[in-house]
Amino acid sequence: MNLSFFDQFTSPCLLGIPLILISLLFPALLLPSPDNRWITNRLSTLQSWFLHLVTKQLMMPLNKKGHKWALILTSLMTFLLMINLLGLLPYTFTPTTQLSMNMALALPLWLATLLTGMRNQPSISLGHLLPEGTPTPLIPALILIETTSLLIRPLALGVRLTANLTAGHLLIQLISTASIALLPTIPTVSILTTTILLLLTLLEVAVAMIQAYVFVLLLSLYLQENI
Amino acid sequence: VLHTTRPLHTTQQSLAPLPPLPEKGGEIRYGLIPEEFFQFLYPKTGVTGPYMLGTGLLLYFLSKEIYVINHETVAAACILSVFIYGVKKYGSDVAAFADKLNEEKVAKALDVKNEAIKGLETAIEQEKKEQWRVEGRSYLFDAKRNNIAMLLETNYRERLLMVYNEVKKRLDYQVAMQNLKRQKEQDHMIQWVEKNVVQSITPQQQKESIAKCILDLKALSKNVQAAV
Repeated sequence: MNLSFFDQFTSPCLLGIPLILISLLFPALLLPSPDNRWITNRLSTLQSWFLHLVTKQLMMPLNKKGHKWALILTSLMTFLLMINLLGLLPYTFTPTTQLSMNMALALPLWLATLLTGMRNQPSISLGHLLPEGTPTPLIPALILIETTSLLIRPLALGVRLTANLTAGHLLIQLISTASIALLPTIPTVSILTTTILLLLTLLEVAVAMIQAYVFVLLLSLYLQENI
Repeated sequence: VLHTTRPLHTTQQSLAPLPPLPEKGGEIRYGLIPEEFFQFLYPKTGVTGPYMLGTGLLLYFLSKEIYVINHETVAAACILSVFIYGVKKYGSDVAAFADKLNEEKVAKALDVKNEAIKGLETAIEQEKKEQWRVEGRSYLFDAKRNNIAMLLETNYRERLLMVYNEVKKRLDYQVAMQNLKRQKEQDHMIQWVEKNVVQSITPQQQKESIAKCILDLKALSKNVQAAV
C-alpha cells in the first residue's frame, strides 16, 4: 500500500488492536528505575542528577503550596521529552503529534491551575486580568483582552506542541522524499537536500527538547500566578 | 510469607546480602553487538565470520526488498549520524561527569569518616596530655599549699602590725596626755609663782629696786666712760 505523508500520524493498530497505550508507556521502560543502592551506575546517576536539576528549576519560583505539583510537572517533562525524542527515529509513531493527546494534557492541567487560583485567592486571580498602570479608559477593553488570552491558554499549549512536532515530522518526510527522488536525476541537488535534512534533524532534536520544556514551563508559570 | 513482605517487588527477594554487581558492563562492538557473539563465531568462521554474516544479511534484506529503501531510510541515516556524532564527541565527557558525581558522593562520605577519625585522634592526644598533667598534680598542690600558707602568713603579719599600731596609738595617747598634764601643771605653777612674786613686790621694794638700778647704771656708765 502506498502511504501518503499523513499516514505517519495515524494511531498505530495491529490486527485491530490499538497500540497507542504501548507507545505511550514504552518510553518509561527505557529509563532505569532507581535501584536500592547508594552508588548507582552512570545512567542512573545521570538520570537522578537530571531529575534533581529539573525539579529544582521548576520549583524555585513557586511557594510551598506549589511544591505539591513537583511530581506531576517533572514526570510530564520527562514523558514529553522521551516521546518527542523517540519520535525522531524512523518508522516510529509520536503520540504528541495527536491534538487529542496534547489537549488532554493541556486542558485539565491549565484548568487545575485556574481553579486553584479562583478557589483559594479569587481576587488575586482575577486581578491578574488587569496589568498595573493601565489608563482608566482602557480598562474594559483590556479586561476583555486578558480574559480572551486566559481562555485561549489551553488551546495554545496543546496546539503549540502538536503543530511544532507535526510540522517537524512532515518536513523531515518531505525533504527526505525529495532527496531520494532527486538521487537518480540530479545527485548534486540530492546531496544538497541531504545536507538540509541533516540540519533539519538537528533542529528537530532541539525542537523536541524545547517544546517539552516550554509546555511544562508555561504550566508552571500559570501555576505561579494562581497558587 | 516472603511474597507479602514486598508486594511491589521493589527490593531484593532474600534478606541475605547480594553479591556485588560487576564494575563495567559487557564489551560491545559497534555499540550494538556484544563481543561474545564474535567469540562464539570465531572457532568456526574466524575473524571475518560475523562481518560476512552481517553483510550477507543486509544484502539479502535489500535484494528481496524485505527492507525497503524509501524516504525513511534517508531520515534514519540523518538521525543516526547525528546521534552517533553526539555520542562519539560528548560520550566520554558525560561518562566522566557521571563518574565525578559518584566520586563526590563517595568523597563526602569519606570526608565524614576522616573528620571523625581526626576528631577522635585529637581527643586521644588531649586525653594523653591530661594524663601527663595528672602526674604533675602533687607539684601543683604543693605550690598551691605554699601559696595559701604565704597568704595566711602575710595576713597574720598584717594583722599583727595593725594590733601593734593600735596599741602604740593608745599608749602614745596616754603619754601625750601625761605630758600635757605635766606641762599644764608646770605652766600653771610658773604662772602662779610669777603672779605671787609680782604681787609680793610691794611698792616700797619697787622704789628701792628702781633707785638701786639707777645707781648701778650710773656706776656702770662711769666705769664705761673711764674704760673708753
